[in-house]
Amino acid sequence: MELKTLCELNGASGQEGAVRKAVLEAARPLCDDVHIDRMGNVIAFKKGRTGNRHILFSAHMDEVGFIILDATDDGLLIFRPVGGIDPRVTVSKYVLAGEKKLKGVIGALAIHLQTAEDRKRVLGYDNLYIDIGAKTKEEALADCPPGSYAYFDSAYQPFGDGCVVSKALDDRVGCYNLLRLLEGEYDADITCAFVTQEEVGLRGATGAAFAAQADTVIVLEGTTAGDMGAVEKARRVCEPGLGVVVSFMDNASIANRSLYQELLALAERKAVPCQIKRGSTGGNDAGAYQRSKAGVRTCVLSVPCRYIHGPSSVVKLSDVEAQYALAKAYAESAK
Amino acid sequence: MILDTLKTLLSAYGPTGQETQVAQVIKQLLAGHADGIRTDVMGNLIVEKKGQPGGKTIMLSAHMDHIGLVVTDIEETGYLRVTNVGGVSVDAMRCRHVVFGNGVHGVAVCQPTKGETAGMQHLFVDIGARDREEALSMVQLGDACVFAPDIVPMGRYRLAAPAMDDRCACALLTELLMQATAPRNTVVGVFSVQEEVGLRGAAVAAYQVAPDLGVGIDVTAWGDTPEVKLPAVKLGEGAAIKFMDRSMVATPLVRDALIAAAERAKAPYQREILPFGGTDGAAIQHSRGGVPAGTLSIPCRYVHSACEVIDLRDMDSALAILKEFVNGTY
Amino acid sequence: MKIEDFLREVTAIPGVTGNEGAAADYIADAFRPYADEVRVTPLNCVVARQKGEGPKVLICAHLDEIGMMVSRIEEDGSLRLQSVGGVDPRVLPGMRVRVYAREGMLLGVVGATPPHLLKEADRKNNYNWDTLFVDLGMDAEQVRQKVRLGDTVCFEARYVEMKNDRVATKTADDRACVAIMLEAARRLRQMAHQADLYFVATCQEEIGSYGALISGFALEPDMGVAFDVCHAETPGAPRNSTSKITSLVTSKGPFLNSFLVKKLEETAKENGIELQFAVDPRYTSTDADELSVTRAGVPTVLLSLPIKYMHTNVETLDMHALKEGGRLLAHYLAAIQGSWEDELWN
Repeated sequence: MELKTLCELNGASGQEGAVRKAVLEAARPLCDDVHIDRMGNVIAFKKGRTGNRHILFSAHMDEVGFIILDATDDGLLIFRPVGGIDPRVTVSKYVLAGEKKLKGVIGALAIHLQTAEDRKRVLGYDNLYIDIGAKTKEEALADCPPGSYAYFDSAYQPFGDGCVVSKALDDRVGCYNLLRLLEGEYDADITCAFVTQEEVGLRGATGAAFAAQADTVIVLEGTTAGDMGAVEKARRVCEPGLGVVVSFMDNASIANRSLYQELLALAERKAVPCQIKRGSTGGNDAGAYQRSKAGVRTCVLSVPCRYIHGPSSVVKLSDVEAQYALAKAYAESAK
Repeated sequence: MILDTLKTLLSAYGPTGQETQVAQVIKQLLAGHADGIRTDVMGNLIVEKKGQPGGKTIMLSAHMDHIGLVVTDIEETGYLRVTNVGGVSVDAMRCRHVVFGNGVHGVAVCQPTKGETAGMQHLFVDIGARDREEALSMVQLGDACVFAPDIVPMGRYRLAAPAMDDRCACALLTELLMQATAPRNTVVGVFSVQEEVGLRGAAVAAYQVAPDLGVGIDVTAWGDTPEVKLPAVKLGEGAAIKFMDRSMVATPLVRDALIAAAERAKAPYQREILPFGGTDGAAIQHSRGGVPAGTLSIPCRYVHSACEVIDLRDMDSALAILKEFVNGTY
Repeated sequence: MKIEDFLREVTAIPGVTGNEGAAADYIADAFRPYADEVRVTPLNCVVARQKGEGPKVLICAHLDEIGMMVSRIEEDGSLRLQSVGGVDPRVLPGMRVRVYAREGMLLGVVGATPPHLLKEADRKNNYNWDTLFVDLGMDAEQVRQKVRLGDTVCFEARYVEMKNDRVATKTADDRACVAIMLEAARRLRQMAHQADLYFVATCQEEIGSYGALISGFALEPDMGVAFDVCHAETPGAPRNSTSKITSLVTSKGPFLNSFLVKKLEETAKENGIELQFAVDPRYTSTDADELSVTRAGVPTVLLSLPIKYMHTNVETLDMHALKEGGRLLAHYLAAIQGSWEDELWN
């Protein structure tokens, strides 16, 4: 399945249905068993030639989005983010709202009408509204009742030198590579877990981890790249174009030391472009896997992603390839 | 002697996430003293001492890990950029002697902050390297350093050292496992990993052990230095039996059993009500379908600094309480 | 037992988080006439089962309450307190609190340094845990004999019946929801249900929903219904965080299973029961958060009873809303079918 197709599906945390359906259909012919578990995760299992090892690869299906709370009397939708979206990137963005995917925009008070004090203040979700053109509260809520979702209306576009811009690259790149991993043949048993609700607290993976039987878990992620705009070198945690990012630790987990070193050595041996994440910020599903039940070895392989959690996140396709290559090399190396 | 055990453990290198050297030392100390010793997938050392028929299974947990700094980047000039692992404050780190697992020494320094509040981004470690290349021959990204061992006796009973949190408890648990012969209850001593980043090791260990009762053993704060009143705990007045902290309310059953054990042993003890903090006891209590659990604390001044101070009389009291506790009827 | 009587009695019992034994025993007794099995777990969760062929459903409301613990005894015999759960110390001055000491309950008055002895600047500050204390009306010697560090301290407890079926009481959060479960259990005794029902009054919600976490693990339910209180409208409260006091509320959001919410909405409609909706973009800050991710996951819905003045001793609810809540829960639990499991993710 194309990365473009995956990115253009809408699936915020708790509403992953469209992605789940697409992934389920794509995975079914590639594996021995695929099912939906109790958290709505898609669990695809592929029997290995020997089955001496069992590796679980995980990526999350959900993306950040918006949820409707209410409407104003004149028909503007009151909303909040699902997952971490900086309100400063939402002003004047195109959105699709509600089940009918109605076109809308995120509006705020015109700059001319703002006082000098207002202009200094960061616009927050209390001052932002989704305008779908409705005239009344009733009209707005008939199409977008409280609890319905909205998404950035943002196409997938190749640009520059091997880059793409899209919403939801975090973590559809991971889903894309999981499906590619299922195409291979391995000695080890392989589970690919496409999980829900990462962006609201690693919740899908928490359930998947409990049911999992694997000895090793590798999480495929998109991670923040802050390399542009004259950021001091010391604060750039990773950079697009330098390859897949291997993390020794983040806020949610500390990588299993020997697995981390094994992956670095493997990258060198197979000439897979690879960089070590220079920082420990963020957190992802590895935290949920590592500490479920009696514990499991985990490590995270990420694609550096600029402007993550916005309508126009950017990755370099060569890094997406590197993530796939290293994950595949690991799966093949497990005897 | 518990003092020798303590000194040995204080000298071992073991930042959060890289506790293998500490585990190795404990394993050697306990060789021949246990019915089973194993290391789990996260690195917890799990030591079993079988009890008598009809006894319960008690999990006692002391954490091996020690707060430290992890190398996140190396500058062209050879200085190491670092971030904290566990609750490290810049103040406690200023101009401190640190050491890496491979024996590389350095000093942690805070650069001028130009009016900003000092944070991890202002810290660097100087390991005496000429440039990036030389530094890379000494340490790698992801390597961690800790306060270098520095054990200072003070007065008759007191000892200052880094890593007292929680090696003093590791020493207690090691001694208990060596000294307790044929306890009534099966004792599973867990030397846990990654406590300082959220009780991570103990949670995984508790799931495996599935005990009937649990006790975390850890240091607690103090209320007996100038302008510090809470918790109402003083050094030298006995081990502290925890009623609550930020991570849990001790199960009355276990808390009262610890008090009863102290009274049977005629060991001095204090009651601890801590407005912050958390220990492995909480991870045990919240495991599986819920496990009655509490915590036994060693009062410790200046926790998370290079000079954590304990009183050896409190260690004696704690050991006496634990010995009685594992022989109780539950 | 009339539900009003249950609520009056149960809210008077001390059950501060972590020390819930007395409250748990009382609640277990109240469920006995309506359940096939009742037990109290070692950490003081009450589990009352009404057998059915399945699926297995866990319904929970927490029995613990916020309160305090004695953290220091001053030279003069006054007690300093530490909060257990989110107690706002500003509600305490002048309150008559109950100190549960070794030989029984002692009445105490919460005092503070009088304003005319304070510096001008301090007079503008709120009272806090450092300035408030409990006066037991006895000398320091006697205090030290009777009270020990770690003794629990509860809010003053009165049950105030007001106009329009409104009731103000301590610990409406969350024993009013335990009362809703009890009312539903009573009704279900006369109704057919396929589901195997486990009513759980959970411990330790106020410091992190640990009771729900361990109960979810122990019972392995197929579905969960969590109950808690939410904020009713009061002057100045933000509109998106409040609901009308007159009926129950169910939440929508990523943590809650949308199919189960839809079924709840249908049940309410079919039975002519008023139901409001709220949206939780992330945490619900109730037992639902933990319950829904126990073991391999538990598809969960959340029902909330709006109350005013949450986390005080005058939490105010509408008795009519409570009773209708019991009716709604009973009908919902009776409607659950095994076939629902196939539709959870459609």
